[in-house]
Amino acid sequence: MAREVIMPKEGITVESCLIGKWHKELGDAVAEYEALFDYETDKAAFECVSTAAGVLLHKYYEDGDEAPVLAPVAIIGEAGEDISALIAGGGQTTAAPAAESGIQAAGEQAAAAHGGDTQALKASPRARGDAALQGVDLLQTAPSGPGGRILEADVIAASAAVYEAEAETQGADGNPPENRLPEPPRNDGTAAGARNAAAAPEYIDEPFTKIRSVIAKSMTASLQRSAQLTHHHSFDATMLLAMRGDFKTSDEAYGYRGVSVGDIILYVVSRALANHPEINALVSADGMRKYNTVNLGVAVDTPRGLMVPTVFAAEKKSLRGISAEVRLLAAAAREGRISPDKLTGGTFTVSNLGATGVESFTPIINPPQVAILGVCGVTGRVRKGRGGRPDAYSSIGISLTYDHRAIDGAPASRFAAELCGALEDFSWKTLALEN
Amino acid sequence: MTKTLFVDPAELSKPSEIVFENIPANSYKKTVTEARPDFADAELVRIYRDMTILRAFEDMLNKIKTQGNYNGIETTYPGPAHLSLGQEAGAVGQAYLLGTSDIIFGNHRSHSEILAKSLSAIEKLDAGTLMTIMETFQDGKILKTLDTIYTAKDVKDLAAHFVLYGALCEIFARDNGFHRGMGGSMHAFFLPFGVYPNNAIVGGSAPIAAGAALYKRVNEKPGLVVCNIGDGSLGCGPVLEVLNFSAMGQFHTLWEDKKPGGLPIIFNVWNNAYGMGGQTNGETMAYDMLARIGAGVAPGQMSAERVWGHDPLAVIDCYRRKKALVEQGGGPVFLDVLTYRLSGHSTSDQNAYRSKEELDAWAAVDPIKAFREELVNAEVASDAYFEEMWAGTTERMTRICGWAADPAISPYADFKKDYHIIERTMFSNGRAPKLADGEPKFLADPDSCSRVRQVAEKNRAAFDGEGKPVSKLKMLNIRDAIFEPVFDKFKEDPTIIAYGEDVRDWGGAFAVYRGMNEVVPYTRLFNAPISEAAIVGSSVGYGLMGGRVISELMYCDFIGRAGDEIFNQLSKWQAMSAGILKMPVVLRVSVGAKYGAQHSQDWTALCAHIPGLKVCFPATPWEAKGLMTAALNGTDPVVFFESQRIYDAGERFRPGGVPKEAYEISIGDTNTVRRGADITILTIGATLYKAVDAAGILSKEYGVEAEIINLHSLVPLDYTKILESVDKTGKVVLASDACARGSFINDVARNITELAFDRLDGPPVVVGAQNWITPPFEYDEFFFPQADWILDAIHEKLLPLKGYQPKTGVFTAVDQLRRAKAGV
Repeated sequence: MAREVIMPKEGITVESCLIGKWHKELGDAVAEYEALFDYETDKAAFECVSTAAGVLLHKYYEDGDEAPVLAPVAIIGEAGEDISALIAGGGQTTAAPAAESGIQAAGEQAAAAHGGDTQALKASPRARGDAALQGVDLLQTAPSGPGGRILEADVIAASAAVYEAEAETQGADGNPPENRLPEPPRNDGTAAGARNAAAAPEYIDEPFTKIRSVIAKSMTASLQRSAQLTHHHSFDATMLLAMRGDFKTSDEAYGYRGVSVGDIILYVVSRALANHPEINALVSADGMRKYNTVNLGVAVDTPRGLMVPTVFAAEKKSLRGISAEVRLLAAAAREGRISPDKLTGGTFTVSNLGATGVESFTPIINPPQVAILGVCGVTGRVRKGRGGRPDAYSSIGISLTYDHRAIDGAPASRFAAELCGALEDFSWKTLALEN
Repeated sequence: MTKTLFVDPAELSKPSEIVFENIPANSYKKTVTEARPDFADAELVRIYRDMTILRAFEDMLNKIKTQGNYNGIETTYPGPAHLSLGQEAGAVGQAYLLGTSDIIFGNHRSHSEILAKSLSAIEKLDAGTLMTIMETFQDGKILKTLDTIYTAKDVKDLAAHFVLYGALCEIFARDNGFHRGMGGSMHAFFLPFGVYPNNAIVGGSAPIAAGAALYKRVNEKPGLVVCNIGDGSLGCGPVLEVLNFSAMGQFHTLWEDKKPGGLPIIFNVWNNAYGMGGQTNGETMAYDMLARIGAGVAPGQMSAERVWGHDPLAVIDCYRRKKALVEQGGGPVFLDVLTYRLSGHSTSDQNAYRSKEELDAWAAVDPIKAFREELVNAEVASDAYFEEMWAGTTERMTRICGWAADPAISPYADFKKDYHIIERTMFSNGRAPKLADGEPKFLADPDSCSRVRQVAEKNRAAFDGEGKPVSKLKMLNIRDAIFEPVFDKFKEDPTIIAYGEDVRDWGGAFAVYRGMNEVVPYTRLFNAPISEAAIVGSSVGYGLMGGRVISELMYCDFIGRAGDEIFNQLSKWQAMSAGILKMPVVLRVSVGAKYGAQHSQDWTALCAHIPGLKVCFPATPWEAKGLMTAALNGTDPVVFFESQRIYDAGERFRPGGVPKEAYEISIGDTNTVRRGADITILTIGATLYKAVDAAGILSKEYGVEAEIINLHSLVPLDYTKILESVDKTGKVVLASDACARGSFINDVARNITELAFDRLDGPPVVVGAQNWITPPFEYDEFFFPQADWILDAIHEKLLPLKGYQPKTGVFTAVDQLRRAKAGV
């Protein structure tokens, strides 16, 4: 018996589709699930598979025609079958809806709840904010709130589902198979095996601590989900180091003695960022959140691993204030008593490896931040001085990693150059302006 | 109510009659010639000089208002000018004998009284005192301006310029005004010369002036109070209330200070025949002669008298007699001072209500003309002398008008430079544990009060040391927690008084003051008549004089009876005086339960709406004591709401209960009584306890942990803890017993929406009482928010609770829209 194939409905708001190209001609044999024709909506292209087996007896539309969704598009039946009644009736049978996967069903349920468009979608402001930060698609999020409103809890659930799905594809330990360690060689009874067993072990297996796991996941996710690249700049640190010298010998009552080179850099960064909200920003798959306040993450090396406490509203704080706060935060982080609230909320991070003598590196962005600044050690440099004579000076390198999804190279360079300029110009005058 | 006065049926039922004395009218008969032995010529001349200054001042205002020009000085001024042209003789006559400790209150038509009293004070004060006043008033700002533009003949001349210039700047809304121009024409005053606030509400000064007189009597201060009101104000309830209040029987039957009469006050009614355009005698009022009213108030007929106000000597004669009477404790006095305003009610008056014939007849007896003629006829001075006097007065007024009109000399307050000019004066935010030194008066050792002993024995919390509930009678409850700081304040501050309906023997209808009458004298704790306007209005007067007062409205629903006094007087005088006046008044207001539609309303929103009032509503004993202590140590008006539902409540939330020692809760803080991370419930008043019940159900049956924050302060209100909580939970329900529409929690909900929008996981949901009349107590559950309502609101609007069946259907959008459309 002849059956009609209908135009699938791709989403609640789609009313019709354009037929792209037929893969079968009249009279061709068609198997169930065999591609019948291509079609497209204004957003995407799809392939329509046959929902019946037989011979293509009739095409309601040709290539390039527009067909309403859920309308019959083709008739599949036995060769020579009389289909005139079917054509006249405009279709009596419809294809059974294709079985959908669980995830698709949840998506449909979500879509049905809010009409499939983000404008009509009902989500609390809190849920919208969370979704933007976590990259959760609200259209695919099932609501639990009154009247089909998506709540914060729904976004958290959706976010967890995404991670779980990723974990499934990556393996139980969260790593793709190629990232796994090789199985240790078994003691197979051979001489070599016995020797191995008797001697000191070649290695020790040490499971990640919790914080290490978090760092591992976060760093991997950062590299996998964003488009990172690093610019290396350097600046003449003569003045800055001189100031640091002044600080060391200043009267204790002024409170500048403990201010380090790193503190000065944080201070100058906080001021420079205030002019660059595109760098002082968070980024998601579909937008940025530019901050008017600088919440400065400061990478701290602790016995447990890297921690990044935040100096909130750093642009409003004085050099001494930043210095003192960083000291307290770092101590708290090292001693493992830092409040979790202080470990989130950063809008930009500074990672200072200067003390280790590193000359340049490629810091990894702390997602969802747009950028991170690496600070390198002091190196001697030579440049062409007055009269073409070589002029030796102290230089500090900075490495700015940024997410190319959010910003392009030119603005990143501009920021880095401006920052270098400000660092070179740092003087008592800078501090006088502060007061 | 007092057991010492026996209500004797035998006496009361005897046949008898009320005997009235004759009330004199216009009894002063002397001409100037006949009166010359009573006055020095210089005094008579000065009386007329003051009249010319008053006339010239208002003549100037009239020309500025109507022509924008006075003697070539061009300026305009959009505010009011209620002129008293024609009434100057009365004002000068009144002020003539008043001393520096005598004070006057006025109305919207009081320019002449201000100036006359000031000129009289300048005459009586020595040069040193005058200079000190001018140098210290507003840190010498006005004087500094005068120093740059005027070289005075002497200190009195300088002081006269000071008063005229300061008053005119006040009228012209200039920063050099007495109150930086924030009071204006109808609210001008100048305390150092005994000129107290004038009032733009007809009769508004009457209760305030009575409160000032109460302050003088209670605190044994010298001087009397003159309350200047108009004939139109005799139709106002608060005026009639306060005539009785100031003459109450207890003042001579029960008060310990043993005076023959009531309060030291003269009600001076300027009877100018019109209340705006309504003719009082014959049209809008029932009296034929205004003085008659005194006879209906008290046996002494308030020493009522009618005086011919166009003759300054007649008014002086009257004040000479009445002042002596009041100083001997024989107040209050009621004067019907006949006068007539030759100009309109205001400069826009078309005089549609009176004939030219009438105006002409009164112009013929214009005191400016008539008294001058008499002085010339009596050969006190020549007509040429007065002509010269007039020229001098006009010249001076032109000079002063020029200064006040010139923005370079007299700038407006600069809001663009300083946006917070008024903001700073809305509250004084002072801390003054006692407002005077001296020993507070008691009838006996205050600690011998039986209540003090009872309270001392009570458990300070609702639970004992082992966490077991304490019986109601043995635990410190909210009424005790209010009593404690009040009684302590009676021991500390000699100025504090408390009054209201049934506060003494009854201890207040809800027994908060029970036992206090054993040791506190009548002068400090007394029953007021059923006169809410007089109770609140007199408190305003007592407070602005520098005394501390707790007055009480037995039911919140009676706020309507004291509407003007709370909304226009109590709230406004600190800012209208540019911070010169303080208002240490705590108004206790009890929110009823069980007594139906006119005795069960929470009107916190009405008070919170009015700028200038601090508003509290404690719901736990800890809150009640801490807030009352703060209110009584402060210098701002605090409307202190209490709930009759929970007077018996013990302290359930504060570990260790209510401290015995004094402590303050900062008004504006909030009280987090339960911690939770899932939803925030904000409450006002007794609804706190319903919210606690709801939180218990949420926790036990749905695993939802609510954070409950009680808003014991409405104004001011610090949102910090509220926003922190909302940031944590994302969901907030606000509940109070006030009818939902226009309630204060709507305002809080709106602010949360604006301030925490991005952190909200749903709309702030308001759970208020129905917009109905309050039904009898038996139907309480259908009218006031219950625990179920809070659960319904959460389920319907914020967080569907698994398996929960809504009980009310009130919180659906459909019903919300229906009710709004129906106006319920």
